[in-house]
Amino acid sequence: MQPKKATRREFLRMSGLAVAGMAMATCAQPAPAPIQAPAAPAATSVPPTAAPAVKKPVTIQWWTVPSEEFSEEAQRKLVDAFHAAQNDVRVEISVLPENGFSEKMTTTLGAGEGAPDVSFFWTDAWLPQALDLAPWIARDKFDTGQYIKGFFDTHSQYKGTTVTLPLGVGANFVMYNVKVFDEAKVPYPDMSPDATEWLQMIVKLNDPAKKRWGGDRPRGPYRAIWLNFGARMYSDDGKTVEGYLNGPGSVAAYEWLWDLVQTNATPTPADIELLGTQGTGPVDLFMAGRLATATLNQGHMLNAMKAGLPFGIVREPGPTGKPRHVNSWSLAVGIWKGTKEPEAAWTFLKFWAGPEGQKFLMENGNLFPSIRSVLNQYPKADLPHVKAFFQILEDNPVRAITVRGWSNSGILNAVKDLWDNINLGKIKREEIKPALDKAVPAAQKALDEARAKVGL
Amino acid sequence: MTTAAHEAPIRTPLLSRRWRLFLGHSLAYLVMSALAFVFMVPLFWMLSTSLKSRWEVFAWPPQWIPVPAHWENFRLIFERVPLWRYAGNTVILVIGNLIGQLFAVPLVAYAFARLRFPGRNTLFFLMIATMMIPYQVTMIPLFTIFQRLGLVNTYVPLILPAFFGGPFFIFLMHQYIKTLPRDLDDAARIDGAGTWAILYQIILPLCRPPMTIVVVYTFWFTWNDFLHPLIYLNDISKFTIQLGLAMFRGRFDVEWNLLMAATLLAVLPLLIVYFFAQRHLIGGIASVGLKG
Amino acid sequence: MLNTWRQMRPRARREALEGYLGISPWLIGFLLFTLGPILASLYFSMTQWNIVETPKWIGFANYIKLLTDDPLFTKALQVTLTYVALAVPLRLVVGLGLSLLLNLKVRGMDVYRTIFYLPAVLSGVAVALMWIWIMHPDMGVVNNLLSLVGIQGPRWFWDPSTALISVVIMQLWYVGGSAVIYLAGLQNIPPHLYEAAEMDGANRWARFWSITLPLLTPTLFLQLVTNLIDAFQVFTSVYIITGGGPLRATWMYMLYLYEQAFQEFNMGYASAMAWILTIIIVVLSIIVFRTSDRWVYYEDTGEKAQ
Repeated sequence: MQPKKATRREFLRMSGLAVAGMAMATCAQPAPAPIQAPAAPAATSVPPTAAPAVKKPVTIQWWTVPSEEFSEEAQRKLVDAFHAAQNDVRVEISVLPENGFSEKMTTTLGAGEGAPDVSFFWTDAWLPQALDLAPWIARDKFDTGQYIKGFFDTHSQYKGTTVTLPLGVGANFVMYNVKVFDEAKVPYPDMSPDATEWLQMIVKLNDPAKKRWGGDRPRGPYRAIWLNFGARMYSDDGKTVEGYLNGPGSVAAYEWLWDLVQTNATPTPADIELLGTQGTGPVDLFMAGRLATATLNQGHMLNAMKAGLPFGIVREPGPTGKPRHVNSWSLAVGIWKGTKEPEAAWTFLKFWAGPEGQKFLMENGNLFPSIRSVLNQYPKADLPHVKAFFQILEDNPVRAITVRGWSNSGILNAVKDLWDNINLGKIKREEIKPALDKAVPAAQKALDEARAKVGL
Repeated sequence: MTTAAHEAPIRTPLLSRRWRLFLGHSLAYLVMSALAFVFMVPLFWMLSTSLKSRWEVFAWPPQWIPVPAHWENFRLIFERVPLWRYAGNTVILVIGNLIGQLFAVPLVAYAFARLRFPGRNTLFFLMIATMMIPYQVTMIPLFTIFQRLGLVNTYVPLILPAFFGGPFFIFLMHQYIKTLPRDLDDAARIDGAGTWAILYQIILPLCRPPMTIVVVYTFWFTWNDFLHPLIYLNDISKFTIQLGLAMFRGRFDVEWNLLMAATLLAVLPLLIVYFFAQRHLIGGIASVGLKG
Repeated sequence: MLNTWRQMRPRARREALEGYLGISPWLIGFLLFTLGPILASLYFSMTQWNIVETPKWIGFANYIKLLTDDPLFTKALQVTLTYVALAVPLRLVVGLGLSLLLNLKVRGMDVYRTIFYLPAVLSGVAVALMWIWIMHPDMGVVNNLLSLVGIQGPRWFWDPSTALISVVIMQLWYVGGSAVIYLAGLQNIPPHLYEAAEMDGANRWARFWSITLPLLTPTLFLQLVTNLIDAFQVFTSVYIITGGGPLRATWMYMLYLYEQAFQEFNMGYASAMAWILTIIIVVLSIIVFRTSDRWVYYEDTGEKAQ
């Protein structure tokens, strides 16, 4: 928080208190809700004990999804716990299917009506419809410093202010199947595996007779492995593609992918899709013992633990000696700008994503909290793979480099054919650099357009 | 093929005729059985998957008949998701949609097919043109309308449109009515029947085949609709069967065995309805025996 | 229109009023719930709209960019037109063929019809998975059957040269659903026509061309128009199975539209795409409607096709 802003808010809060009585008198009428004005929170910041007899509980809508980390049951219990803790706010929970949640959310936000008071805001494009939380954070002296720093910075900010809170942490990492390694008599991989040695290793683990592969393929460029190679889509100022998209790091990463495909020790896209659509292929193959190593996440780790499968966790491969990156995330949760009950929504939001809620979901579900002090109490923190997971969380987040407030999809479109060609085995290794050079003009145009669209 | 379809009186030498029929039928059975087998393979696979344990699904070599068979998956799905309730909710929607379509479709189709009024052809084409606009771009404005009417999280947005008649059904019915001879109407009119009497007493009884299609398709579309219930319903107790099926998919993976078990059960009502409905396709003018 | 109205005789006027009354359910629904959203999407197509903020008026800029400066749009259009040209005729022929087979009066036909209906009504992920299972290059049913007769099958969805044709084949799978419509049409052909033709010595083939096909043209017309609309809007199965790849071989129009609308949040741009698509389908449909009086045979001889 910039101190300058805080003082300004402090001032507004004082003046807000002055009009508090007036606001109280009119609060029965449906105000056109200039919610962002700090006067509103100030007006309702009168302690609830002031008038318990007349205050009716306010009901808010909460939309959520079930997950490996927070089951429907755990979330219903969370609501019960919240109701037990206070009497002012009632929460109506809607547990929606994950598949389709985005369409539903987009539709209601687009209609400007019917959106939930509190929900996930995990798509950046929704953020303009998220309520500015800064006034509430300032008023309640809500400690945002308790969140693991990288996650708060990369998941909560929009146009210079805080619009969401980060719930839980997650990351991609490589899981390896201990049984398969033992059987193939291959030593377990290093915590930070070398990219070249990785290729030799997966070849040893490969066994066509058993329809078993040594490893899987990355699901897209410019993620952890690419960044490990030093690849970038564009310059650090976000303006130039030339020399980055086709720079040495980028070329090296694509060449590594080419080598990986040529090992024939990875399932083809057809294989992956056969065994589970929607990106679930790798986990299904891994759990069936048919992928010796796979890039998975903490949700899969929980499943493997539940199934009693022996496994270990290491970083995604990269060239030795260069800094490692991790594709990590948190779930952004926030309040809809159009809410009629911002105060009640905030009360619930800070419970859900605050220490109480995250601790509750950790203990009653499987959430890995995004709050350091709570994460430290994780019951199984001593298990080696949990330790490894926590260690990997400290790496440089991919998101901090690639998410820049505009859409990169146009740039990725420019290199999509190269990606497909490498995966299909339809391109020579030495053609990679020329192909990247050729993609530069289209990528530069896409970058310029994407920037212009967000007013840069 | 058409010979076999109509058991015409036998005129040609007896044996050869019978042999031809026999060979024709045998060939038909052979072709259909081969096709049916290919169509059924995925079904066997789904059944096989639904009887496996969580992580057996993708083991190699694949087990076609899982040992032991996990029949309890079919019990588990009901514990995990209230499928009976969702099926009940969906039945309500199906009934509502059926009433709506069966009310509106014959009326509109008959008017388009038989009555002359200015702008008819334009309006008819306009109706068909509404099917050509991708719903993705009209979904949000339509949601806004129902939201302003206070009808979100009710079944009204999922049933009301049926009472306006589905353009596809109207088109279908229109095509069918136009194959019925106009002499039928004229004869009835001479007998003093009004326009609506002709529709409900003369035309509609001959329209059993297309009405059957309307029933089968309405059941199918409503039962399998995912997007509309998803957009319009918030309250989990009002959910439909397809939303229930989606619940077997987590954020990171899918419980294939349970999903397949639930999908198999969910498709059964559709097959049963179809199985019995197809017998009502026969009818119409052919059965009346009027000269064309 | 008003002039026509004045010139009409009372009886004709009455019939017209009844006509409007008859179509009123549809008309009311159209005016209240369809027209508004359609006009709204037309307005959005002239704006830059990221869905969650206020649309910004930009006139025809979206259309100009689409038509002059968007290779992905051109590619999508090209793929979709190829697909339509392949899929629509094939679907009509196969659908008709299958329903002739299913129209045989043999025992157990109910069961066969139901089996062929199954793929059409299986929904969502199950279908996609089924398809991948069938068409997988090494483990799929199709290639395994082909290998029995010594043919090495192609890589289907996973090879740019066969991906689109795989989608065409996949869509054929669903004809079991439309077979019921053909069946209704077939059942409506009076048997005495066949009997008469047979007495005249017409063989099977001649009877098909002179009786079955002409009397089925109203159904074929319906199928042609609706298949055309469906083919241009093919989405879900392609989205799940190929996502438009490989190398954009199955980059269908609706995939791009969906990506623009719900992933890139360019609803203005997506709306313009929707309108271009609508215009294309409308133009093709008008051609079909205009030519229909030459080949669609209606029993109510009072009128030709619309």
